[in-house]
Parts: sequence; structure tokens; C-alpha cells
Amino acid sequence: MKISLILGVIASLSLALAEQETLVLVDNLNIRETHSQFFKSLQERGYTLTYKLADDPNLLLSKYGEYLYKNLIVFAPSVLEFGGQIDTEAITKFIDDGGNLLMAGNAAAGDVYREIASECGFEMDEESAAVIDHFNYDVSDDGEHTRIVVSPKNLISAPTIVGDKNTQPLLFEGTGLILDKDNTLVLPILTADSTAYSYNPKNQVKEYPHAVGRKTVLIAALQARNNARIVFSGSLFFFSDEAFNSGVAKVHGDKVSAAQSGNKALSIHLSQWAFGERGRLRVRNVDHHREGEKESSNTYTITDTVVYRIEIEELKNGKWQPFDANDVQLEFVRIDPFIRTTLKKKPNGVYEAIFKVPDVWGVYQFKVDYDRIGYTRLYHATQVSVRPLQHTQYERFIPSAYPYYVSAFSMMIGVFLFSFVFLYYKDDTKTKSE
Amino acid sequence: MTQTTTARQGNGSDKGIFSNTAGFSTLITVTVLSLAWLAGFASRLFAVIRFESIIHEFDPWFNYRSTAYMVQHGFYNFLNWFDERAWYPLGRIVGGTVYPGLMITSGTIHWILHSLNIPIHIRDICVFLAPVFSGLTAIATYLLTSELWSRGAGLFAACFIAIVPGYSSRSVAGSYDNEGIAIFALQFTYYLWLKSLKNGSVFWSICTALSYFYMVSAWGGYVFIINLIPLHVFLLLIMGRFSQRLFVSYTVFYIVGLLMSMQIPFVGFQPIRTSEHMAASGVFALLMAIGALKYLHSLNPKGQWKQLLILGGLAAAGTVFLAVVLLTYAGVIAPWSGRFYSLWDTTYAKIHIPIIASVSEHQPTTWSSFFFDLHVLVCTFPVGLWYCIKHINDERVFVALYALSAVYFAGVMVRLMLTLTPVVCVLAGIAFSILCDLVLREEELPTQQDETEESKSLYDKAGKLKKRTHEQPAPVDPGLGMNVRSVTLILIMILLMLFSVHCTWATSNAYSSPSIVLASYGNDGTRKILDDFREAYGWLSQNTAEDARVMSWWDYGYQIAGMGNRTTLVDNNTWNNSHIALVGKAMASNESAAYEIMTMLDVDYVLVIFGGAIGYSGDDINKFIWMVRIAEGEHPKDIHEADYFTERGEYRVDSEASKTMLNCLMYKLSYYRYDSGGSPPGYDRTRGALPGNRGFKLTYLEEAYTTEHWLVRIYRVKKPDEFNRPRLPLAKRTVPTSNTISKKTTKRRKGMLKNKPTIVKGKKVVKLE
Repeated sequence: MKISLILGVIASLSLALAEQETLVLVDNLNIRETHSQFFKSLQERGYTLTYKLADDPNLLLSKYGEYLYKNLIVFAPSVLEFGGQIDTEAITKFIDDGGNLLMAGNAAAGDVYREIASECGFEMDEESAAVIDHFNYDVSDDGEHTRIVVSPKNLISAPTIVGDKNTQPLLFEGTGLILDKDNTLVLPILTADSTAYSYNPKNQVKEYPHAVGRKTVLIAALQARNNARIVFSGSLFFFSDEAFNSGVAKVHGDKVSAAQSGNKALSIHLSQWAFGERGRLRVRNVDHHREGEKESSNTYTITDTVVYRIEIEELKNGKWQPFDANDVQLEFVRIDPFIRTTLKKKPNGVYEAIFKVPDVWGVYQFKVDYDRIGYTRLYHATQVSVRPLQHTQYERFIPSAYPYYVSAFSMMIGVFLFSFVFLYYKDDTKTKSE
Repeated sequence: MTQTTTARQGNGSDKGIFSNTAGFSTLITVTVLSLAWLAGFASRLFAVIRFESIIHEFDPWFNYRSTAYMVQHGFYNFLNWFDERAWYPLGRIVGGTVYPGLMITSGTIHWILHSLNIPIHIRDICVFLAPVFSGLTAIATYLLTSELWSRGAGLFAACFIAIVPGYSSRSVAGSYDNEGIAIFALQFTYYLWLKSLKNGSVFWSICTALSYFYMVSAWGGYVFIINLIPLHVFLLLIMGRFSQRLFVSYTVFYIVGLLMSMQIPFVGFQPIRTSEHMAASGVFALLMAIGALKYLHSLNPKGQWKQLLILGGLAAAGTVFLAVVLLTYAGVIAPWSGRFYSLWDTTYAKIHIPIIASVSEHQPTTWSSFFFDLHVLVCTFPVGLWYCIKHINDERVFVALYALSAVYFAGVMVRLMLTLTPVVCVLAGIAFSILCDLVLREEELPTQQDETEESKSLYDKAGKLKKRTHEQPAPVDPGLGMNVRSVTLILIMILLMLFSVHCTWATSNAYSSPSIVLASYGNDGTRKILDDFREAYGWLSQNTAEDARVMSWWDYGYQIAGMGNRTTLVDNNTWNNSHIALVGKAMASNESAAYEIMTMLDVDYVLVIFGGAIGYSGDDINKFIWMVRIAEGEHPKDIHEADYFTERGEYRVDSEASKTMLNCLMYKLSYYRYDSGGSPPGYDRTRGALPGNRGFKLTYLEEAYTTEHWLVRIYRVKKPDEFNRPRLPLAKRTVPTSNTISKKTTKRRKGMLKNKPTIVKGKKVVKLE
């Protein structure tokens, strides 16, 4: 028992270590200094950061089919083409194979950024376009009204992603993102105010901007179906020391001001989510059996009472701990769900449902599909068959049949007696009839 | 005497020297019957000799699979078998939806052989069961015919049924189907019924009921018996032929048969709850009423009872009829099922139940197939019928009814040719027996002399007298001339010889193809075996997950389950029309709509049959219009048959085909990547056209396997997880991006940065931003 525990700890530790290999692509090694606080917070949490110039001819994501890094940070807005083996395709493949990506650009970001964004289901506005808000800009703005102040109310309400203590206003300077409406996987982490729009600040507005008002997304995120996470920020400035340290003072409107912006807290939260420190769920154990039995079974008979238990764990501070929620549901599905019930919470992350199998035979699936914003998708399906009664399982001697039993037996007795009478009764009728 | 002479015709080898002795006639009978058995068995072996000992076609695969299951797991487990591999996700209770007679029969044979330490594989028993039973059918037919007419006629009939193509079409080796044993049960039940009717004994009635029970356990065609026998009784009542024999035999048969037939789980309460069985119970009630009236009549034969008898009988008949109608209206008795409606109205199925009409063996019979399946018998059986009607008695009423109803049903459905064949053999046997009687009987002379004369006259030429012989049969008494006799005899012999040649040829060429192995013949006569089906099913069983679910059209369900051992969505047991319609809808929809259905049904693989490369006409594209029709029946909003035709109403696959057709899943799966079929590449040899939509790509499916001759194509359905990122396609992007061409080469792998300060050695870097 102890040995297995130790082994488990070692396994989880080694897993954690492997997950902390992070490649940071920059277009300028200065970014190490200008964004030192952000990187430092990562290092403090145990990430091994490898800084590389984005045009480095020896860039590698994977070697011999194994990924060298678990996470990728791209802070290189001016890149036109990545060096080495990295290109849009390699990055998308990295995502498809489960790698996490944090990407930040600015108004000058090139088409590579746009390509990658589109691969993830959202778009980055045109080159040199920036988010402009004439009502919500910071005092430190240089006159183009691009350094805007965003209220934390514009954040998505998902504490797992953004944390729950965002009260400070946020500073943002960069380009806007556009989200595809049909896309359910993409999350607008931070949107601009209704007075904002995204356009080239140096030009006169001639065309309708691509992103206007609240549709202008400043930071977007995607959790792919394989649970790879992508955070895409339109602003590299957002993560910089400057933004972290500076105070906020809005020029117009209600005088929002703060000694320190909320950028630091949010950035750290975002990176924690993006690199899988938070919001990760897993199924530890699934067990189903007939009520009163212990053995698990793959076959149930109609109208059986079934106990279904699922143990769910959440990764908290690097350790898998029991998950705590009230809204985990179970479906018992045969094409359509026949039963949909909320699982009852039991201690130690165990969720339980006891229900009666429907009176319809077929091949069913126990399905737990827990898909909440910020959490990895938890999906577990177990196939069982529900069979009709066997020929020995039907009720015998039902009361309504007693008259028939009586009639059958009375008939038998009657025939028996009659045959005796018929065979041995000699009467005078012969003589009579004659 | 008659019997022996005719027997010789059937056998053709013995001499009728000791024809008067009963022992000798028995010997001949036994010899003829065993030779008929042998001939019947041997003529059904073409498939085994040409190919191998395998199970044929579609339904036999299910029968084989369930027989193997029963042998392995025992009868009770078979009875309770819930097959979760069929009809996913509905499942199928095999024990309750199958006629178990076939499995029990071969299981019993297997058990007996194994208790005798003969280790034979169950597959071989299944393959050879139908040929063996054909011999039993011949014996049953012999018994039935001799009950009706004479033993000579019986031998003729036995020989006919042994080799006639109409019956061997369903009973060649490997065709392991219900019909193989059911025809025997049918004939034997009829024989026992006539026997019990003749004797009026309870014993024979019980035997009839037992045989009927076997028939019920073997084939759904038992409904034919349970309607024909009451009809017979009813007609006898109308003809005023009521007798104690009739009363005893029918009542005993009905009650015992009813109780026993209800023991089959698949039949269950149908005999008392459905209209198909109501004729039997109605006649039973009527018979009871008339029996009672007769008894009253017998108490006082001189009074007014006669009128009472007739009136009472009519009243009873009316009451019974009204009761049945009322019960049907009240919903106690289920109305006629669709399959039976389609027997009366041939267009009914086409309009209301496309799934029944889609089966080729449910099509109306063509004239030529009557001749093809029965040859000379189809011409001679009316003669036998005429004689039966002319010399009518209780039993011959039955055979007349049997013949008339079977002719009608055979005309409605090709498949029911099978029920016509036995009665045709019986009546043709009678006809030939009468003919031989006429020709060979010598009133005064002993047969010895007849024999010598006959052998001499064999060499005489036919001359013009031929025509007269056909007009002659009616007057029996005037002796025929020697020439007439011999000519007629020769003609009969030639006819029978041609018949047997035709039978062998038809069995060999038309009915002995296993249909899972195809053979094609080259110009020089060399044979090439196309084993694509087994190749594909073998691939499925080796390369897919154990619980993979395979979607295909229902025709291939049993084969996938039997050979591929994988879960199927629909199969040849077409019990759930809406599920089949769902599969049809998936096949008829475009790829994305089909993908929704397929994910809903958890489909892992899709299997289609495509014959375009080798010119195999029974492929899915040719069946496709039925899929559309069946789907339209259940989903009239989404699928419209007219969309799949061109504007001129043609069904085409080339560039003139309709857009819906060119984009439906079935079309795409058939023609995806197809570049075989001769010149130009991609030519469809079955339809003789170049596909209209080519070079397309599949989004939601990927090709998993295609067999050597493109006959079977298997596709894997991508899981939703594989569409990992919601990628924005170029067309949907609002912000245009310039298409940059990579400047990286294999040697120079440096990327590019905007405004990157160029570092020149020895110079100071200007400024970093």
C-alpha cells in the first residue's frame, strides 16, 4: 500500500516535471527583461523556461516524435516566419497533440499570428490595427487612445480561468480579436467596452471596423477537444512589467484609478489555467452494479435497480484531490437519454446515482459528460446491455390464473372419473332401448 | 399392378416380372425413393464442388451463427440469448424472434453424431442439412400422393420433387435456411392431415398436430397450413361432406396444434390474437355448431330438423364471422399484417411498406420463371388437377384447394413459388401416373408380354399418330393401338429426360452460387474467384476493435455479424423499419447530415458494396433508390425520392445526375478515390457511366479498407474528438491574410523577423526597441 503510494507520488512528480518544460519564443531577447515579472512567476511555480529567438534556425518542438516541451509561449509579434522546424503547421500539430500555447501579439503582429489564430477558431484584426477607445484610455496614453483601461467586469465569469479576485482595472494595448459566433469552444476571456473599436489609429476611419464595441475581444482562449489550452492575447504589453507595475487612471468618465493594475494577477491566473495547473479533472474510478450486489456486471435485466458510482478528481496545487461540485449529471442513453439524473455527492469525490433501469431492452451507455467553462471536459461512457427477462424470470402462479388451473385440474379429474364410469358402468339402458 | 408399372417409370431399371407380389412392389418403392433421395442430394452439391463447403447468401449466416451459439451454449441459453451485437443499440432477443426448428434440428443431429463419437463440425451439418432434407421431402411427397391417388403417382411425385429447380433453389448445399426443412414439414403435415381425415382417428390427428408443431417451429409459412386446412374443412362443410371423421380429425388437430404452436416464443399468442389465424378458430366454432346440430338432427331424423340444420348452420357461420369482425374492431384481434395485405394487393407493399417491396424475392413472378422452376410439370399439373376434381373425394378437395391457392400465391411473389412446387409435383405425378396407366395397361394380357412388345416398339417411329394420343386419355376403355402406346411412351420418356436435364442445368447454373464468393469466367473459360466479401469481413474481424459498430445496408447485416463478428446496426431480420430508415437516411443525406446520424448511433465503420469496377449489379448504388424510399417513408421532411432522379426522371450517376444524388453519402462512399474499371479510369461498368462527381474529399470519414476488386469498401467514421480545433476555413475569415510563401530551405532554416536589426560584425548595434 505504502509502496504504491510512494510510486504514485513519484509518478505524479515526474509527470509534473515533464509538464513544466516550456519554450518561450521572443523576437527580441529584451523581452526577458521587459516581461521579467511574468516569467519570474512562472519560474517560481517550477517551470523551466527556454528562451529562443523566433527566427532561430535551430528551433525544434519535437525530437524523434517526442515533444521537448509541454507548453509554448510566443511573445514575438514581429515574427514573419518562425525559424527551424516551427511553422503554423507544427504549432497546430503541437496543439492537436495536447500542447498548451500562450500567445501575445500587438498591433504590429504579422500574418503568422493571424494564421495561428484562425487555426484556433478566432481572428486577429489586420496588421497595424489597434483597439481604440476614446472614452476609456489611460493617462499614460500617447494620444492615440490605444492604451485602454478595461474594467474587470468585462472578464468572463469563470473563476477557474481568471480567478475570483479581479477587482483592479486592467491595462491593454494591442490589437483586437474577432470570435466566430458559431464556435462554442472559443472563450472571450476579456472583451473591450462598448465604446471601443479596432482600427489603425493612424488612419482615418473609412471602412466599418472589423471589431466594434463589445465584440472586440482582447484576450481569447480555446480549450481544444483534446483539452489542449490556448490563450491568445492581442496585447503583449498586457504581460509586461510596465503594465504590471503602473497605476491606472482613466481620463474620462467615472474616475477609475488604482495604484496598481490588475494585470499581474490576471496574467498569472491565465498562465496557470493555460498550462494546466487549474481546472483539470479526471475520472479515477467508475463502478456500477445491481443494488445489493458487489460484482460489477455488463448485463442488466430490465427494471433492475442499478448503482452507478464515479470518482472524480481535480488537480489542485499539483495534486489530484477529490472534486467538489453539485451539478454532475448522469445519463443512461440508448440513442436518446432514457434517464438523466444529478449524481449525489458522497465523500472523497465519489458521485453516486441509484436508479431503475427502464423497461426497454437494448444496449445502453452510462454517460457522464461534465463540460464546464474552465474545466477540462470530463466524458466517460460505459456500455452495458439491458436484456429482457429470461424464461425463468417471469412470475409464476399469478393469482389471475388460478381459475384456469382449477379448470384444468377439475377437467383432468373429471375425465378420469368419467372414464371409470364409462368403462365399468353397466346399465340396463341396452335393454331399455331395445 | 398399376403401381409397379408406374414405379418402373420412375426408376426405369427393373423388370416387372414379379409385379404381383407385394414384397417386390415394396422393394421397388424403397429403391426408387432411395434413388430419388440420392439424386436429390447429389444434384444439390454443385456449390460445394465448385466452391467449398460454406454457408451461402444472407439469412443462412444468421441461422448458422445462432446454431453455432446454441451448440456452444445450450438450448436454454439460446432461448434467452439477447444479442447485443445486432440492431445496435436496440439489440435483439434472438430466442424470441426466431423460428428455432432449424437450429434445433441441426443441433440434434450434431448431438447425436457426437454422442456416437463422430466429430463433425456444426458448419458441415448446416451446409448439408437442406440436401438431406430434400430426400425426406421426397418421401413425404410420396406418402401424400399415394394417399391421394396411388403409390405409382407417389413415386413419380417423389422423383419430381427431388430434383425440381423450384425446390432445389432453396435447398442447395450451403443454403441453410428455414425453407430447407419447412417444405418437408409442410408436405408431411398435409400427408398426416389427409391420413387423419381418412381414418378419423385421434392418433393421426395428434400426429398431424405434432408435425404442424414442427412446421411452426421451422418457418413462418405455417400460416399457409393453418389457413388451408380450415379452408378445406369449410369447403367440405359447404359441400355437405360433414362426417364424424372430419369432426374428430379437425377438432383434435386444431386444439392440439394451437396449444403447441403457442409454445414457440416467436409465435406466442399470435394464434389467438391475429387475423391470420382467425380462419382456423372460426371454422372450429362452426364445426362445433354444425356437429351439435347434426346430433340434434340424428335424434329425430324425420322432423323439421333438416331446415333447422341448414338455417342453424348459416346462423352459426354468420355469428362466427360477426364475432371475428367485432373483435377485430375492438382491437382484441390484430388486423391483417402488411405482409398479408401485400398478398392480396400487389401494389400495397410498394406504396405502404417499401421495405417489403425492396426485397427481390417479394416481386411478382414472371411467366418465364414458372417454366424455369417447374419445366414440364407446369404443363402437366392441370391434368392431374382435373382428374382429382373429376374423381373427387374428401382428400382430393384438399389437393385442389392447395393447388389453386398455391398458384395464386406463387403468382404474387417469386418466393412463394416454393409452396407451389410440391403441389405441382404431386399433381404432375398423378398426371404422369394416369398417362402411364393408359399406355402400359394391357387389360387381358399379362405384363410379361406387354414388356416384350414394349421393348420392340421402342424403335418405332412416332408418325402422325402423336397428336391423337393427347386427345385419347379421357376414354379409358377402348384399347389403344400398339403404335400409339409406344410413341406416347417414348414421348413421355423424352419429356422426362428433358425435364431432368433441365433440372440439373437450372440447379447448377442458377441456384448454386454461394453469392459470397463470386466467380467470373474469362474468354478461354478459366475461372476467376472473386473473394472480396470474405476479404472485407476478414479485415473487419482482424483490424477493428472488438466492439466496433459497422453501419451498412441491412442486406449485409447477417454477414458482418457472421463472418466479421462485429456489431451491426440493421440486418436481414427487418423487424424495425424506423431503424432501417435511419440508416437509409444517413446513406441518402449529405456528409455532414449523415455524420450527425452516425454519431448519434455511435457508428465506427461504414461498409458499402460497390460493383462498378467489376460490373457486379447487385451493389448498393443499384439498391440505393430503395434506401431513399424507405427513408422517405419515415422522414418525409428530409428525404424526397424525386431529388435523386434527374429532371427527366432518370436514375443516373454521371454528370447529369441530380445534385442531391451526387453529394449523398452513398454516392461519395462508392466513388471516393475510384479510378479503376477500365478506360477512362473511374468508369463505372455496372451503370455504364462515368461518375459525375469525382475527385472529391471526405471530411467526416476516411477510407479504411477497399477490397481487391473494389467490391467492398469500408470507411472509418471520425470521432468528434478528431475535429480538435474549430478551425476557421479561409472562406469564413473576415480579415484577409496574404499568402506568404516560406523562404526557408532545407539548408537555411532561419526565420524572419520584422525590422530586425542586421548585425554586421564590427559595427555597433543601432538600437533595440
